[in-house]
Amino acid sequence: MEEQLKTDFDKVVKNLKLSDENIRLRKKDLNKFIKNGFPNKKKEEWKFFDLNQIINSNIKNLSFFNNCSVFAKNDNIVYVKNFEHNKIIFVNGSISLIDFGYEEKNKIEIEEDINLTEKNDQTNILISLNNALLSNYIKITIKQNYSLNKPLIIYNITNRELNSTAVNLRTDIILEKNSSIKLITLSNDDSKDNFININQNFKIAKDAILKNYKIDSVDNSNIKYFFNNIDLEHNSLAETFIFSKASKFIKNEINCNLNGEYSSAFINGVINLKESKHHEIKTNINHLAENTKSYQLVKCVLNDSSKGVYQGKIFVDSKAQKTDGYQLSKALLLSENTEFDAKPELEIYADDVKCSHGSTSGNLDEDAIFYLMSRGLSYQQSRELLINGFLLDVIEKITDLEIKDLIKNIMGIKQ
Amino acid sequence: MLIIKNLTANIDNKDILKGLNLEIKPGEVHAIMGPNGSGKSTLSNVLSGKKGYEISGKVTFEGKDLLGLKIEERAHKGIFLAFQYPLEIPGVNTNIFLKSSLNAIKKSRGEKELDAIEFLKLVKQKALDLKFDEKILSRQLNVGFSGGEKKKNEILQMSILNPKLSILDETDSGLDIDALKIVSEGVNALRNKKSSFLIITHYQRLLNYIKPDFVHVLIDGKIVKSGDSELALELEKKGYESFN
Repeated sequence: MEEQLKTDFDKVVKNLKLSDENIRLRKKDLNKFIKNGFPNKKKEEWKFFDLNQIINSNIKNLSFFNNCSVFAKNDNIVYVKNFEHNKIIFVNGSISLIDFGYEEKNKIEIEEDINLTEKNDQTNILISLNNALLSNYIKITIKQNYSLNKPLIIYNITNRELNSTAVNLRTDIILEKNSSIKLITLSNDDSKDNFININQNFKIAKDAILKNYKIDSVDNSNIKYFFNNIDLEHNSLAETFIFSKASKFIKNEINCNLNGEYSSAFINGVINLKESKHHEIKTNINHLAENTKSYQLVKCVLNDSSKGVYQGKIFVDSKAQKTDGYQLSKALLLSENTEFDAKPELEIYADDVKCSHGSTSGNLDEDAIFYLMSRGLSYQQSRELLINGFLLDVIEKITDLEIKDLIKNIMGIKQ
Repeated sequence: MLIIKNLTANIDNKDILKGLNLEIKPGEVHAIMGPNGSGKSTLSNVLSGKKGYEISGKVTFEGKDLLGLKIEERAHKGIFLAFQYPLEIPGVNTNIFLKSSLNAIKKSRGEKELDAIEFLKLVKQKALDLKFDEKILSRQLNVGFSGGEKKKNEILQMSILNPKLSILDETDSGLDIDALKIVSEGVNALRNKKSSFLIITHYQRLLNYIKPDFVHVLIDGKIVKSGDSELALELEKKGYESFN
C-alpha cells in the first residue's frame, strides 16, 4: 500500500497545484498514515469496526487518487423537493454548486480551496489521511447575529464513474457569536466500493446554535467514515442527529468539546439496518468547563445479519464542575444473526457532577404483538408499528417541524 | 354463535383446560367465574389465538372452525378480547392504532375504510359516550394510563370495533367503583340481539352491573356448574370450595 500511496499522493499534488508549504504539511500527514495504516480492531476505538479488514475484503485495489475533476456534473441530481433550502453539492468529492440564494450575501463568507495550517496537528489517523489527500476543503463562516433563513443541505453525491477510490473531503463551518444554522447532510450514492472520508469541523462561538442532521438513506456498497469535530463556546448549543440506514459500512465519529460554560451538546441517533450492513456511532464528549450539559440517545434496529455499534464516551475535566451528562442506547435485535455492541465510557475527574448511562437490547415484545394482532392487525403491521414506535422518541426530539417531517419521510418512519 | 366442545389446553406440559364445553348464542351474556388458576385467562387466550398452547377439542364460531384461524383473522371475524392487563405500547399513538385496527377489520370484510375525518368523528362520539377524555387518545397507547384508563380504553376499542363476541378478561380487576360503573355502562350499551359477551371474572361484583344470562363455574379446567345469575350470588356466599 505504501508504494501506491506515494504514487497516488504525487498525482494528487500535481492535480491540485499546491504550494510547497502545503505539500510539506500534507506529506507530514501522509507519512503519519503510512506509518500506521488503516486502523484495525487491535485499537480500542476500532474494536467493533475493523476498518483495515473491512477495506481489504470489500475494495479491490483502492486508489488514493480521486480524479474528481472528471465526471463531476450535476445533471442527474435529485434535490429534496417541497423544502426550501440552500445547497452545497459535492459530486464525486468535487464541488459542483454552492447556492445560498435564501440568505443575505454579506452575512455568509465562503472560502474554497483552503490550505492546511500547521495547527492541524492531531492524532486521528484517518484525519491525517484526509489532510494528505484532501480534494476539497471549504470553509463557511456565518457572521455575528445572523441566523440562516433556510436550512443548508450539503449533498454528497457519487456516481457510477467513481470506483474503488478514496474520497477525502473537508468542510469547516464557523458560527460567529449569536448566529445559527440548520444543516442537513445527505448522501446519495450511485457508486460502488469506495472509501469515503468526510471531515466536518464546527466552531461555535458564544450563544450560537448548530443543528446538524446527518442522513444516510440511499442503499450503496461504500465504506464511510464521517468525523465531526465540534468546539463550543459559552452558552452555545450543538444538536447532532444521525440517521444511519443505507450504506454498507459507516462509522460516524463525533468529537465534542464543551469549552465554554453553559454550553450543551445533544447527540441523537437512529441506526436501522438490514442485510449485512454494519454501522457505528462513536462519540467523545469532553466537558471542559463548568455547567456544561450533554445528552445522547441512540436507538438501533437490526435485521438479518446486520451489526450496530455505539461507543459513547463522556469525559469530565476536573474544572468541569456541575456537569450534566447522560447517555442511553437501546437496540432491537430482530434476527438471531444480528449483533449490537455498546460500550459506554465515563471518565470523570470532577466531584460535583451528574452523569448517567444505560444500554438495553432485546427482541420485540411478543405480548405486545399479540395485543395488536388481537385488534385485527397482521403480524407485519404489528411489527412495523412497534418498530416505528421504538424509533419515534428519537425522531420526536427534532424540534424543527419541517425538518422532522422531511426526515420521517426520507427514513420511512410513519406517524 | 360460539360452540366449544371438549376443549383442552396445555402449556409447558401442564394441563390447564381439561375438557371444557360451552355454547354461546347471539345476544347472550355468559359469565365464567372461577378461582385463581382455574384456567379463566387460558380460555380467553385460546379463543383469541395466543400462541404457546397445545390444544385439542373443537371450537366453532358462526359454524366455522375457529382454532385454525390466525389471531388477526379471529378479530376480523368479530372476536374481541378485552385484556386483563392491557399492554403499554410506547411510540404508538392511540388514535392511529385504533384507526389502523378498525380499517384492517373493515378491509378484511370488504367494507369501505374510514378516512381520518370520519374516524375522528366516530372516536369522539364513542369517547363521549364512555365519558373518556379524548385527549388521552392522542397519547401513546396505554403508556402512563391509570389502571382505570387502560380498562376504559379497552371498552372504547370494543365499542369502536363493534365485535360480535366480546371476551372480557377480568375487566373489573383494579377498577374503583366509579370506573366499574362506567365500564359496565359501556358494555351494557353494546348489548343487543346480535352481540354476545363472555365475561370472565373472579368476583361477583361486576355482575351487579352487567347482568349475565348464564353463569358458569370453572374449576380445574372444567365447567362444574352452570346456572342463571342467581348462581353468582350463591358462589359469593359459599365460595368456590363448595364446588370442589
